[in-house]
Amino acid sequence: MVDAVAKAPRQAGGIRRFIERYPFVPALVIMLVLLALNGIWQPRSVSLVGITGLVKTYLALMLLAVAQTYVVYAGDIDLSAGAIVSLVNVVIVAFMAAMGGSAFSVIGAMAIGLGVGLACGIVNGIVVAAFRLQAIVATFATSIFFTGLALYVMPVAGTPAPATFWRTFGARYFEIPFVFYAAVLLAVILSLLARTRLSLQLLAVGDDAQGAYQSGLPVTAIRIRGYALCGLFAALAAFCVTGDTASGDPLVGGKMTLFSVAAVVLGGSALAGGYGTVVGSVFGALIIGLINSLVYFVGTPSEWQNLVQGLAILVALVAGILIGRRARA
Amino acid sequence: MAKLKISGVSKAYGATVALSRGDLELEAGEVHVLIGSNGSGKSTLCKIVAGSVKPDAGEVLLDGKPVTVSGPQAAKALGIGIFYQELSLAARRTVEENICLPDLPMRGPFVDRRALSEKAARYIALFDGVTGGGFAADATVDVLRADQRQLVEIMKALATEAPVLIFDEPTSALDRAQVDRFFEILRRLKAEGRAMVFISHRMDEIFAIGDSVTVLRDGRTVGTSRIADTTPAEVVRLMVGEEQAQAAPAAAAETVKTDGAGPVGLAVSALAGPGFAGVSFAVRQGEILGFGGLHGQGQSSVLRALFGALPLAAGAVTLKGGAYRPHSPRAAIRAGLAYVSGDRGRDGVIQGRPILENVTPIHFLRNRLTLARPGPLRDKATPAVEALHTRFAGFSHPIGSLSGGNQQKIVIARWLIDRPDVLLLDDPTKGIDLSAKADLFALVRKLAAEGMAIVLYSSEDAELLANSDRILVFNGGRVTRELAGADRTRFNLYEAAYEAA
Repeated sequence: MVDAVAKAPRQAGGIRRFIERYPFVPALVIMLVLLALNGIWQPRSVSLVGITGLVKTYLALMLLAVAQTYVVYAGDIDLSAGAIVSLVNVVIVAFMAAMGGSAFSVIGAMAIGLGVGLACGIVNGIVVAAFRLQAIVATFATSIFFTGLALYVMPVAGTPAPATFWRTFGARYFEIPFVFYAAVLLAVILSLLARTRLSLQLLAVGDDAQGAYQSGLPVTAIRIRGYALCGLFAALAAFCVTGDTASGDPLVGGKMTLFSVAAVVLGGSALAGGYGTVVGSVFGALIIGLINSLVYFVGTPSEWQNLVQGLAILVALVAGILIGRRARA
Repeated sequence: MAKLKISGVSKAYGATVALSRGDLELEAGEVHVLIGSNGSGKSTLCKIVAGSVKPDAGEVLLDGKPVTVSGPQAAKALGIGIFYQELSLAARRTVEENICLPDLPMRGPFVDRRALSEKAARYIALFDGVTGGGFAADATVDVLRADQRQLVEIMKALATEAPVLIFDEPTSALDRAQVDRFFEILRRLKAEGRAMVFISHRMDEIFAIGDSVTVLRDGRTVGTSRIADTTPAEVVRLMVGEEQAQAAPAAAAETVKTDGAGPVGLAVSALAGPGFAGVSFAVRQGEILGFGGLHGQGQSSVLRALFGALPLAAGAVTLKGGAYRPHSPRAAIRAGLAYVSGDRGRDGVIQGRPILENVTPIHFLRNRLTLARPGPLRDKATPAVEALHTRFAGFSHPIGSLSGGNQQKIVIARWLIDRPDVLLLDDPTKGIDLSAKADLFALVRKLAAEGMAIVLYSSEDAELLANSDRILVFNGGRVTRELAGADRTRFNLYEAAYEAA
């Protein structure tokens, strides 16, 4: 006859449970493998200088992946994240240039940058959660709007950022590069944020929005806060971009948007919402960075680099799913 | 003074009146049972109290003061907690997180994990010993069984510590020991002076835990009495309504063929699958066999399994004398089975496509056509569509331009181009207007008269009684009673549906 279909209740096994609790583990494994491969082809890439370079280049993507994760938690998406990076980048560069590049102007510019990021996030949140427009299309529209603002602030790329800003980003204190302090600070902030009510509420909303509403959670407000948090982290990403490129560019962040979404998925979060970690997204961003450098180190001809990068990201995605499934089986 | 008094609340969704006049008076320290058949408005009444549905009219008094429950947040603030029949759990979160989600314990800006665990542990401890294997405070809800999830939802409702608690079918998946424990807890809460509304379809549970009972029928409150002063038969009589209780349906009496002469069209024995077990029956050609009982007792699953849309675990099926194994809808259609679902959006209509394309897919499949020629298809489709008095402007208009009733007629017309041998109707009239229903059943009776074997599941008991020659009553995934001839009364149907499984 037909096979029995009644499924026995799933037993919480050791490894499965471990992955369930730490969904970023597959991403961590892939990242370490890629790091090892980088080391094999280019031993210097795993030295302090090499790692510093990697972190310095990809800190912005890590932050943007974190930003994206908070909206993905709630089952939303933000296709304007990269445009917010561009807008904050040109706003702070223009402000610092206008104020003469003093230390005070740098602090002021960062405060303004955070404000701009927050405002953009709230706009996204209102459009998506309060007006109930489709997140994917609504944030695509706001991304064009934000890019338009950025082009108004700075029509052409190239205005240099003041030396105090990018020198600090590339500096060393007590023999340790500044970006490592930034990375540690990021880790502390993320661990604190993970303990807030908002993180849990965002995940609950992403899991079952109707259920969360019936539980008495303010679903609309929670989703708007998720977007606001995303805007703030996008502003932080913009600071890193500015430190790394040392100039303003109204289109600098555009191509980062989908990389941030890819990093979130590589990190083990569910795009449907309700499941994931910010740590995983950080690893996801590093995976993308390591793939790009590996493609370069193995000596891929330049005309093939994009193709190989794309394939490698697909392979990493499949590997992550396989590791997760093996553990669950 | 009543703790909660609801008077004259009503709610309509478009033309469908879900609740025409709901009244309820809830005292502190009592368990007040709400009972009524499918679609009588119980859940709507509860959702109005919980704030997730806004009433069109009427008044809600809490402690004698009129209140507006504008949403679940407002209900929470007013001290009303609810157990949702469809559950409100976050599957990827842990049991303890779910229990505390409506009101997370905080320490400064952070969730106080220790307090959260302690708070959850208090409510989990209430069900100590009956939660079953795999249940743990730090287990995610998606690994739990249905009964364990229901327990979590109960714990979540209890954790609100609200003075007014509403339980909308909280025991449907629980086993005996779990129900007993739950009732112990309810008795304790009663002693504390909490006011509780309890919805259940199980007569034994109602008499075991209830203090008073309010009966709803067709969207209105028809009576309230003390449990001590009433009997199960009396409650069933209220649910059914005096005039209809004993009358065998006249309309059906005309159509019933008592001879039962036709050969067997479809026979199944010991059928088991998701949500049903041990189902055996035979339908003769020219007979309409009704499936009755409360909603979701396995009727739909049996029909879907026969059509190959759900997997069968065990059992044998004979179709017109030959063995038939339902493994896919495609094979079922080729074998001469037809299935019409009440869920048009999911199972019937091909959204956004013209009417002609919606009438002809089965014709295509059964005749293995590869080329669509609109002219001949139109000729084939026209008589099928006209048989149902379908009103439409033209075959090229999109299906969405039709009303729900006419859409369903198109879906049924699909099966009329090449006649099937067996027609499975799965609550086919859900959400369609009265005249369309009349057209539809006239056709169904005509098809039966022409020798088709028909199985009809309907959640509307009047339809079922009026159109079936025999009725199998489902209860807990099994057939518990067969009603034929003069036994096909509303009273018998309800009695069989509401008795303990």
